Amino acid sequence: MDAARGPANRGPAWAAGVCAGVHAAGVRDVVYVPDNPLSHVLRGFQTAFDDVRLLLATREEEAFGIAAGLYLGGRRPAVMLQSSGLGNSLNAITSLLIPYQIPVLVIVSLRGDLGEWNSAQVPMGRAVPAIFDAIGVAYSRVDSPGEVAAIVRAAAETAFGTRLPHAVLLPRALTSRTTVGL
Amino acid sequence: MNRLEATRIVVELAGDAPIVASLGHPAYDLFAAGDRPQNLYTWGSMGLASSIGLGLALARPDLRVFVLDGDGSLLMNLGSLATIGLLRPDNLVLVVMDNEEYATTGGQQTPTAERADLEAAARAMGIAATVAVRTERELRTAVHSRGVIVAKVSESAPTAKPPLDCVFIKHRFMTAIGTQDEARRGGR
Repeated sequence: MDAARGPANRGPAWAAGVCAGVHAAGVRDVVYVPDNPLSHVLRGFQTAFDDVRLLLATREEEAFGIAAGLYLGGRRPAVMLQSSGLGNSLNAITSLLIPYQIPVLVIVSLRGDLGEWNSAQVPMGRAVPAIFDAIGVAYSRVDSPGEVAAIVRAAAETAFGTRLPHAVLLPRALTSRTTVGL
Repeated sequence: MNRLEATRIVVELAGDAPIVASLGHPAYDLFAAGDRPQNLYTWGSMGLASSIGLGLALARPDLRVFVLDGDGSLLMNLGSLATIGLLRPDNLVLVVMDNEEYATTGGQQTPTAERADLEAAARAMGIAATVAVRTERELRTAVHSRGVIVAKVSESAPTAKPPLDCVFIKHRFMTAIGTQDEARRGGR
């Protein structure tokens, strides 16, 4: 779909897919704490979608607070973070987003899964699905670059339609494809 | 000046502008000072009032956005000052009710009771307009500005609590500031 458009230097296909899906869902504010794979997504926005506002937060919990304020003001916000940052975010998700029914599209760059080399990333990274299950946040995992845009867009529509956060999980096997076009 | 007196001044001078209140005593005092639909009372997410206010200020540059934070709450999210200092929204007024204690949980001292200085922290993070106030007159002048106001206040026992229904608070707030909630647009 939209991932096929845009300039040739849009980076790896999965990252272009994230950008296209986010944009197609009407999200124009992305609050983020960076990690390596997400740098490709940030670059994708900067090269192909200059109408998307990228907002840096110092900590993931803060990012969710900013996103909540954006929603209250009429925007459709997304938060992008690494799985380690989910641990920093739980109180914001469980005591702000869910009880107030404030929807946010959540893009999670997974660590700790297939291909991990850093043991410190393992416990939280592998617990992400169980943690989302425990707090009642829906999530969708993407495994192939070709389906990224459609799933991200659908996740956003689900979030804003149901007024609950919805997460998209990007496993390492997907985000470690850093070659353009793969 | 106690916190309720300071809160009444902010409510009076805010007009129809939205006010986001941190959980516990700041929210209770906002309710006591004047319940209005433009009040967003938080019941959790300690530390995030300034972040919510920042997001709202970015989404709605046409509005002045007030935040009633506490010293203990802001200390939990000091990075927020760096983000505000980075973005410098000219429509955000962050009022920190600094009573030097965790009043909601029983009055334990915070670091501002000793050496921590939140106004200096805000300035150090690049926030252009910062001021510390101790009197009602100083607060009245400061509220017409923007940036960070650290109000040194004494504790005052809250007398009332806002509604407990978070979704009600949100809907009422969004309607009052003119944000159309997607839930009310009807199905596709």
